[in-house]
Amino acid sequence: MFKSYHKLILSTVLVASTATTAVFAKYADASRTYTNGKKVIDGGSTYPVKSNKTSAYHVNTKADKGGFSFGRKPTANEIKAWDIDVMPDGTGLPEGKGTVEEGDEIYEEKCSACHFDFGTGGSGYPALQKGNAYEGQKSLTNQRVGGNDEGPMRVFGTYWPHASTLWWYIKTGMPHPAPMSLTNDEVYALVAYIVSINELKIDGEELDDEYELNREKFLKIVMPNKDGFIPKIDGPKGLENVRKFFNDFKNYGNGTRCMKNCFNGKPVLARISGSGISDYEPPITTKRSMPAAKEGAAEAPGKKTYEASCAVCHATDAMGAPPVGNKKAWAAVLEKGIDKVYHNAINGKGGMPPKGGTSLADDKIKEVINYMVGASK
Amino acid sequence: MTKISKASQTEKQQSSRRDFFRKTAAYSVSALAAASVMAPVKINAEDDPAIMEEKKWGTTFGYPVTHNLYGQPSPYEHIVTRRNTKLLSSGNYYASIAMCPIHESMGIITPNGLFFSRSHGGTAEIDPNEHRLMIHGLVEKPLVLTMDELKKYPSVSRIHFIECPANGGPEWRGPQFPSIQFAKGMMSCAEWTGVYIKDILKDLGLKKEARWMLAEGVDNSHMGRTIPIDKVLDDAMIVWGQNGEALRPEQGYPIRLLVPGWEGNLCVKWLGRLEFASEPFYAKEETAKYSALKPSGKAIQHFYANEVNSVITSPCPDKPWTDLKKGDLVEIEGLAWSGMGTIEGVDISFDGGKNWVEASLKGLVLPKAWTRFSFMYKYEGKPLLLSSRARDDAGHIQPTVKHEREVMGVESVYHRNGIFTWEVTAKGEVNNVQVLS
Repeated sequence: MFKSYHKLILSTVLVASTATTAVFAKYADASRTYTNGKKVIDGGSTYPVKSNKTSAYHVNTKADKGGFSFGRKPTANEIKAWDIDVMPDGTGLPEGKGTVEEGDEIYEEKCSACHFDFGTGGSGYPALQKGNAYEGQKSLTNQRVGGNDEGPMRVFGTYWPHASTLWWYIKTGMPHPAPMSLTNDEVYALVAYIVSINELKIDGEELDDEYELNREKFLKIVMPNKDGFIPKIDGPKGLENVRKFFNDFKNYGNGTRCMKNCFNGKPVLARISGSGISDYEPPITTKRSMPAAKEGAAEAPGKKTYEASCAVCHATDAMGAPPVGNKKAWAAVLEKGIDKVYHNAINGKGGMPPKGGTSLADDKIKEVINYMVGASK
Repeated sequence: MTKISKASQTEKQQSSRRDFFRKTAAYSVSALAAASVMAPVKINAEDDPAIMEEKKWGTTFGYPVTHNLYGQPSPYEHIVTRRNTKLLSSGNYYASIAMCPIHESMGIITPNGLFFSRSHGGTAEIDPNEHRLMIHGLVEKPLVLTMDELKKYPSVSRIHFIECPANGGPEWRGPQFPSIQFAKGMMSCAEWTGVYIKDILKDLGLKKEARWMLAEGVDNSHMGRTIPIDKVLDDAMIVWGQNGEALRPEQGYPIRLLVPGWEGNLCVKWLGRLEFASEPFYAKEETAKYSALKPSGKAIQHFYANEVNSVITSPCPDKPWTDLKKGDLVEIEGLAWSGMGTIEGVDISFDGGKNWVEASLKGLVLPKAWTRFSFMYKYEGKPLLLSSRARDDAGHIQPTVKHEREVMGVESVYHRNGIFTWEVTAKGEVNNVQVLS
């Protein structure tokens, strides 16, 4: 009896003293070192499994020993089909070729609608260049403080460390509405064009319209900001560099736990200028009343078609198309009557390709226009 | 006893039945009738009609159990939704973000329909029967799994937040949003169910020169990110469950990567492929974006963990104190979180960070999860500058805005965790401000 009572007291004392002296009060297993003895890679805590628990969670450690036989080995062909990344050393980069001029043509057709002429960007779509990349790279120390409104330029030429990222991204992510649709030659041509508008040289050579990019020349592209990133992640020491960087809190800042008189005088405040950004959809409210039932609450005909085929251009004013919901823009469209709108939509007008580039039947086009008009009143 | 015909007897019974129904119908026409039947009640001006009047939900059927086979929130909660703004869209709403209404969040779990949603090419709707997970590269035995096969691995459930590292990013140069949903709503917290990647790797023979893992989605953006092997072998998971049900399409159905505590962008959705390599991959979203530019002109790449952070959720601009009276006892409540560990404690300040007191933590306190804090306050109708400052068990403490700017400048876009302050006016209105002292 006495013995176990004594033990209980002892353990209470022990727990109490650990709680006051230990750095980690919440979970005794919290550690900044992995079980292999290495510091945690991100400067945080890790919770190794002890006594079948990790932090507050119970663990069935028998489940962590492997021995599973699910799945199968992928075929070489399957791996090839899915292994679409392109690495800085050229791993994954296929053969191919394309000239700046060919790239310009493809750009006009498939890219300029969003990225604008010469990749200047706008309406939320990213710019692809900001003039001479070697000059622009120097802007990366710019800070918009103290009246300086020239920010750092973070476009492909000025900021990205490797050109492989551009090739990979265009091939697998662009054009935005139809990724994976470009041939390797088209990607080479587009990359050549984008390199040229950033005024980047390859192997000392400026890119004129006739310049033909291929795999070999591509791998000679040296980006102006290739050394602009920390910590260094390449090579056998990459992981150790990362570990060291994040375990030194000074690299990204850490606060102090001051409790009294933490600064002199009254607090200096920064406020929202004007009314700030508040074009929220839907608007914020705390009123839990039911909205009045809308007429024809069932899904409007044409809505699905709109979302699938037309919203890419008509959801915002970015593409110069009248945005759905914009009363003024649609009043202008309707000036010459709805039949004229049907006609223009079916046959094309200005930036609007015939049927918006779809193969929808005429009555479907009319239905979707009715929807767009209705939603813009 | 008068002999009456059977027919007339039946008729009489029917008529009395009709009377009964007629009377009942008459009662239910008047909202007050039922109460009056029990005991006649006179309604006075000070009586609350919500109490005095019979309601239709108390006097008629509700809907049958067959009505909503998948349950829906009360229609009166229609104001609690994700929200978006054009400013946070890359030209269209396919590469954009929908913010979580954290001012309406309760506890530490975000309902699946309200979980913040970021995509780079729209929300993919994947047929799970036609989806595969491939693991290849520097492993002795590459593997391909159907979704049914993947789910046969022993499952693990963990509560973790996911936060976009750009949460609060538009406010590096000063406050911009008169709303907590937009100032801090690029995050949510859920219980995730899936499998530790390290448990799958045990059988695949990971080669010792494997230092990095590429995770790639199969959606429109085919987004890839590079993860260091240390994290893969620590707590990275492939998850298929979210709060007890399948992942929502907005969260990567049928599977996504979960890298606890780290940038939401690393938790690749619609996951199709894991490739192990000796060198990092330099994907677009870890070079062009999601890299944090410092005043030196050098950018932190591979900036993994979301640092310790906190925000007061009540009051906030979206839920002000305009309905309080002087002398009311009210709870100041908020969320604290750290991608680098477990919340140790939260201090709050009423004077913009000059003096601080410790708040209470409440509820579950878990690693890399939302943690609630609470402080009881007697409202005095005086202007306040309400700030919160969290700290974690790895030794990280939220910096002041001033200190954070000294280290990171104002152009870093990502990983902003400076102390957040609300200005409460004498009327109880709440404004988003920053203390630069």
